[in-house]
Amino acid sequence: MLNYTIRRLIISIPVLLLISLIIFLLLNLAPGDPLANQPLTIPPEVRQKMKEALGLGAPLYVRYLLWLKQFFWVEPLHAFDWCFGTHFSVGMQRILSWQFRSPVFDVIVQRMPQTLTVVGMSYVIGVLIAVPIGIVSAYRQYSWFDQIGTFISMIGYSVPTFFTGVLLIVVFSVDLGWFPSIYNTNLKVVDWQTFLLQVRQMAMPVFVLALYNAAQISRFMRSSMLDNLQQDYVRTARAKGMGERTVLLTHVLRNSLIPVVTVIALGVPTIFGGAIITEQVFKVNGLGQLLITAIYASDVPMVQTLTFIFAVLIVVFNLVADILYGVLDPRIRYD
Amino acid sequence: MLDAKPAAKPVKTLVEVRGLKMYFPIHTGLLRAHTGDVKAVDDVSFDILEGETLGLVGESGCGKSTCGRALIRLYDITSGSVKIDGTEIGHADQTRLRKMRPTMQMVFQDPQASLNPRMTVADIISEPLSEHTTLSKTDKLKRIYELMDAVGLNRRFANRYPHEFSGGQRQRIGIARALALNPKFIVCDEPIAALDVSIQAQVVNLLEQLQDEFGLTYLFISHDLSMVRHIADRIAVMYLGKMVELGPRDPVYDSPLHPYTEALLSAVPEPDPSLEKTRERIILKGDVPSPANPPKGCNFCTRCPKVMDICRQIEPEFREAEPGRFVACHLYDQNNKTTAGATGGTEADNEHFQQGETK
Amino acid sequence: MKLKTILMGAAAVLAASQAFAASGRGADGQLNLIYWQAPSILNPYLSSGTKDLEASSITIEPLARFNPKGEMVPEIAAEIPTLKNGGISKDLKTITWHLKPGLKWSDGSAVTSADVVFTGQYCMDPQGGCAQLSHFQGVDKIEAVDPLTVKISFKAPQPDPYGPFVSYESPILQKKQFANCMGAKAPTCTSANFGPIGTGPFVVTSFKPNDVIEYKANPNYRDPNKPAFATVNFKGGGDAAAAARAVFQTGEYDYGWNLQLSPDVLKGMTGPGAKGHVVTAFGSLVERLEMNLTDASPSLPEGQRSTAAHPNPILSDKRVREALSMAIDRSLIVQVGYGSAGKPTCNLVPAPEAYASDNTACLKQDIPGAKKLLDEAGWKVGPDGIREKDGKKLVLTYQTSTNGVRQDTQSLIKQWWKEIGVDAQLKNVNGSVFFGGDPGSPDTFQKFYTDVEEYANNFSGTDPQTYMSMYTCDKAPRPATQWQGENINRYCNKHYDELVAELGKTAVPAKREALVKEMNDMLTKDSYTIIPIVWRGNNSGVANSIGGEAINPWDSELWNIQDWYRKK
Repeated sequence: MLNYTIRRLIISIPVLLLISLIIFLLLNLAPGDPLANQPLTIPPEVRQKMKEALGLGAPLYVRYLLWLKQFFWVEPLHAFDWCFGTHFSVGMQRILSWQFRSPVFDVIVQRMPQTLTVVGMSYVIGVLIAVPIGIVSAYRQYSWFDQIGTFISMIGYSVPTFFTGVLLIVVFSVDLGWFPSIYNTNLKVVDWQTFLLQVRQMAMPVFVLALYNAAQISRFMRSSMLDNLQQDYVRTARAKGMGERTVLLTHVLRNSLIPVVTVIALGVPTIFGGAIITEQVFKVNGLGQLLITAIYASDVPMVQTLTFIFAVLIVVFNLVADILYGVLDPRIRYD
Repeated sequence: MLDAKPAAKPVKTLVEVRGLKMYFPIHTGLLRAHTGDVKAVDDVSFDILEGETLGLVGESGCGKSTCGRALIRLYDITSGSVKIDGTEIGHADQTRLRKMRPTMQMVFQDPQASLNPRMTVADIISEPLSEHTTLSKTDKLKRIYELMDAVGLNRRFANRYPHEFSGGQRQRIGIARALALNPKFIVCDEPIAALDVSIQAQVVNLLEQLQDEFGLTYLFISHDLSMVRHIADRIAVMYLGKMVELGPRDPVYDSPLHPYTEALLSAVPEPDPSLEKTRERIILKGDVPSPANPPKGCNFCTRCPKVMDICRQIEPEFREAEPGRFVACHLYDQNNKTTAGATGGTEADNEHFQQGETK
Repeated sequence: MKLKTILMGAAAVLAASQAFAASGRGADGQLNLIYWQAPSILNPYLSSGTKDLEASSITIEPLARFNPKGEMVPEIAAEIPTLKNGGISKDLKTITWHLKPGLKWSDGSAVTSADVVFTGQYCMDPQGGCAQLSHFQGVDKIEAVDPLTVKISFKAPQPDPYGPFVSYESPILQKKQFANCMGAKAPTCTSANFGPIGTGPFVVTSFKPNDVIEYKANPNYRDPNKPAFATVNFKGGGDAAAAARAVFQTGEYDYGWNLQLSPDVLKGMTGPGAKGHVVTAFGSLVERLEMNLTDASPSLPEGQRSTAAHPNPILSDKRVREALSMAIDRSLIVQVGYGSAGKPTCNLVPAPEAYASDNTACLKQDIPGAKKLLDEAGWKVGPDGIREKDGKKLVLTYQTSTNGVRQDTQSLIKQWWKEIGVDAQLKNVNGSVFFGGDPGSPDTFQKFYTDVEEYANNFSGTDPQTYMSMYTCDKAPRPATQWQGENINRYCNKHYDELVAELGKTAVPAKREALVKEMNDMLTKDSYTIIPIVWRGNNSGVANSIGGEAINPWDSELWNIQDWYRKK
């Protein structure tokens, strides 16, 4: 397993380099101007100077190599310095955002908490809801519970979050006034009261996303359970005289969870990617909103770095999913 | 052999099946309305005697596996009664059934699929022990080793997973598992169908050996007629959800009563080449009708080479045509009456399910 | 002794102006602002996005800024230098500013002329990429005469010398904070760019780019009783509808900026029971149709297309341009697309009032008149209803940026033009391409590869001199200038060029105003080179509980945030 992991990691290096090059070329060849959102009143010669100050004067390959150096050398060094109080990266140019003129990673680190709490929480809640729903739906296939579960999944899956989000805001913020419509990223949970505030402001975005996640995962869970319920070993377990609970939870569930766990693992990078639309709707201003505003502002270093981090996460979690599969399913061997 | 010495040892009926029906409902349309049934097992009655092996044969889809599963209540049966070791389990609830499970066990067709891939051999064998007994950990381990020895598995393999074994070894695990609770009755549902021919004999021999050792009763379901001939004491033949013939092995093989049995047995290859040359195969025409929509009258009337008009009108009764031999065919309507008269059994007509030996 | 008197005087004036406000600094708790376009940086010299300027304007202040009427009011300066008070030299080459005495930065140190001089050097550093460099155009040198006096010298006479350090676009930075951030090092000073030390009513306490800014009242603010709010929560993100909802419906926010919403959406939110109301600032932003006086035909070789070498075969005739203008019902366009945020206009310079021409003839739609004009010009209606002349059809290409309101306007205008027998072929281009200025793209508004194009433009500050001088012959975008240049129409009139030169030498306000009006008329009603349609305002939402707010089109909308208070 260790050899397999190392081999996979080594293979992923050229893959990631290629991805970074493709992202870089796509971003730089796409039309768009980082200064397009600056007022027209700025004279062209000033505009030109501003562009040069952003580093746009250098040729394409120089900019790519610089970015590679910054991403793989300067930023890790800086992180090391930050952790251990050393000074290796002093004087080195970090990746700077064109919008903020500040290091891209500082902003990413700043955005992490709200994305992880809101999107992460919705993922956890979505999974926690989805697994039992999937189990019951499969066990009582075509029952009322299953039919309602299927209907809700269909809604959760097909109704876009910008619709459910705005609907919730209109009902619960505008009409009822229960929850705030705008997320306060500066809220620090220090006591019971701020905790309640945090719960209230998380309620709607988490609900919207959890519904979506649960819809997806519960369908996986259901079909995986159905697959396993029809297996002979389930009949064996019943024939052994095992209780229905044991049959379902020990035999069927544990086997059904194998594909579901890998699907869940594959979904983890999307947490980091943030939920662009939901974050916008509820003004959570996490990584998703960071990415979309960066795209609007043609902030190439920010978009490049974020998308590359997502690529890394996707590659890593694909590996994690494969390894999990090997751990969970004794039939899989990676030697 | 059993019928050869009926008086020597009064044989007890272990399993008593009466009017067993297993219908699977068909739901169609938007509202999933109940529009019909697949009659997988349709009104089947027979007995299995303690210590015997009843071979249940029939072509694929005739309902023999369903019958075996319904018998030990892996399904909720539609109607009928099943008595095992004197206890009626036909409509028992799951809690009561669970207590009965140690008595009746099953060995499945596909040893790979029937073993939980995420459990080790020791787990698989010990699980029923934990559920039904109060053995200590060491006792349990001891029992596991005993069972592994009994089925010829190396003790060192106790902590391996099923996929690490060969097909034959897996079936041994399945048998060991079935034996764990000292059952009296084991349904062997095509236990050798998924195995290599070379392994089949080993497993069948193992089953016979275990039967002697533990005094087991088998319902041996198979479509392999030669193997059934080898292991079974009596043979039951099913066609389209119904039992068409039941009787002691040799008479059934030598002179089948039912035209279907006849056709089925004519398909068995003869090991003696000279006899094989003269073997006449009866080729049935047409396909098996759908069990959701069986023909009127006799189920076999659409393919029967000896079909009569009555066959298309009236469903034949399953009755004793010769002593110990039951058949469901209008060909023997007359015979049956005379036989019944000859034996002078007054209750023969009402109790045509009873088998001669038990009296 | 003298200083003390001035101080006491200043204090008295401030105290008087305080009379109506709440009871002292920080008494009204938190002020919640929502800018759905979130600020990215608080250094106006590194970004001139309005959102960034607005957010920085409550922290750092210029020498003087504009009030809602477009008049200059001193902030850091003690008074506005003029020719009359001797602040501007007779030769129009120097301007001398005196700072308010005793002024302190929020960190407690004194504001001196060195800070002003430094700010000028900071922006004029050739490697800095300063976004406000145009404010320093023509500046020769900036010197500190004494700790409270700054003298700015220009290379040539400057009739409008209020470029440097006036308005929220050009505030004063603290030398101490930015001393190590000159030129290429500017972007490395993240903490300074995210939290500039200023003299304004509030101090940044935390800045999360594109998300939220927190401010607290400046303890060293010059008026001890202001601001009324102790803290400001400046939230960004989302969209205009969500910001409007937060102000008008849920009441979570006190002020929402730039609520560009369709008139009916805005109406729906501000009905009875709404927790806030709309305020609109009309600056100099005018949505207009630009006529291409050169031939944009794709049959011309690249490099000659849309250049002065080939006059436009249709639009070179003034009568056609005039007819196109007459066919438009400007008030209907306002009604459909802009609501309270627009007014029909015929002027390129609709404000400040002093510069606005009395040109209103175009406001009334005149379809028969337009038809008559086209008839006179020799364009006869063809069999398909489209006019023709000498076998050429009256077909115009008409582009604008991709934007719902603009596409509505396009289709309305296409319909009116059809009525007079003109066929318009519509096209829209993504905004970042259209305004991106990429010389390689055929779709930029500068290249103008169509006959007509629509967009909006304005001028910064209150003085239209730069704006008017965009239309001189030499500013036409063309291959030789890498397609840069502001004379989008390729308008070229020697007399106009002379007027521009004259405006550059004239300092007397009345004369300047007359010149601007004349030039405005030349471009609009005299030649129909530019067909203004809508004078656009900026909608913002204010909670009903906020008092003292005064919307300002010429400067930051938060220009007088120190006077805002919560109604009790």
